[in-house]
Amino acid sequence: MSTDAPSRRLLVWDIYIRLFHWLLVALLGFSWWSGERHEMEWHRLSGYAILFLLIFRLYWGFVGSGTARFGHFVRSPRAAFAYLGHLRTRPYRATAGHNPVGGWSVLLMLVSLVAMVTAGLFAVDVDGLESGPLANYVSFDQGRVAADLHGLLFNLLLALVALHIVAILYYLLRLRHNLIGPMIHGRGTMPVEETNDLPSGSAWKALAGLLIAAACVWAIGFR
Amino acid sequence: MTISPAFRRPMLALLGISLVALPMLAGSLTAAPAAAPAPKAAIAARQAGYKKMGAAMKALNDQLKSGTPVKATMVAAAQMIAATAREQPRLFPAGSGPTAGVPTDALPNIWTDRAIFDGQMAKLIAESGKLVSTANSGTADAIRAQAKATGATCAACHRQFRADS
Repeated sequence: MSTDAPSRRLLVWDIYIRLFHWLLVALLGFSWWSGERHEMEWHRLSGYAILFLLIFRLYWGFVGSGTARFGHFVRSPRAAFAYLGHLRTRPYRATAGHNPVGGWSVLLMLVSLVAMVTAGLFAVDVDGLESGPLANYVSFDQGRVAADLHGLLFNLLLALVALHIVAILYYLLRLRHNLIGPMIHGRGTMPVEETNDLPSGSAWKALAGLLIAAACVWAIGFR
Repeated sequence: MTISPAFRRPMLALLGISLVALPMLAGSLTAAPAAAPAPKAAIAARQAGYKKMGAAMKALNDQLKSGTPVKATMVAAAQMIAATAREQPRLFPAGSGPTAGVPTDALPNIWTDRAIFDGQMAKLIAESGKLVSTANSGTADAIRAQAKATGATCAACHRQFRADS
């Protein structure tokens, strides 16, 4: 593969995606800490904040900027396998946004997060003292199953996060490609032909998404 | 964390009741003081009791969270908690700790710090008794406060004497 294919520096991740990513990292850590410490008031609030982020992210996956859209990064399994072959070519040439394998990883993490938060909404602790905001719609036993699922899904998520970090380190150390910088400052180098028709997200659409997410969280957690 | 399928609860409760009831019946027939239940039966019975209290506490809290709490439901839940609480202390006979051979979160210090444990049990019985009278005559806010006080005795004892699983 030629090394002088045209490429340029441009915005890979918009500000909403970057904020989503790093707030999620912080909130997951805080949720873990507060859950382990049985600080359930904090744990619930942290969960609502994660729910807010997830609703916005799902919305942004349909109307957001190019690399944020599901239509852009959810590719066929065939494309994912083809990309694994592409990984062997040197030097590595970056794809725009999520690559076909990374896209599946992101989708899997999002699905696990949605499932974990949903289970948390219905979860009841073993003493019947603390519960998610929707637990009054289920029985004690169902709420206990939800709590167990909540914990199992967290372990699944930890495994996916570990895989995510290992993959990033592989890119950094083996492929000499830094994925961390663009997630902080947003800019990265992309092949020109991949960036021709990436739509950019509008601030108004983002604002609408933030309001939708806030309304949903309000309706669920603060009735 | 353990997954507990819904169907296991009634079975355990039934087993617990029958295993506890038999020695009690035998005891009353021979007019001897009621013997402590065998360790495994005691574990099954006390776990069934705690599940009943947890479910009743949830039922009570669900009412308090709803805009229109139903008094009869709250009174029934409070009575369930108070009645079950009085049954629990004798369900911790010697040998029913982690060495009993069946899964239990009961920590060994229940038996080494028995006086403190019994004190916590007495607090639970006192607070859940108050919960019944408050549920009968109090405002929603008073019931909420007393449910919280009762829950606090649960939590305090669990921090000291129950494995965090």
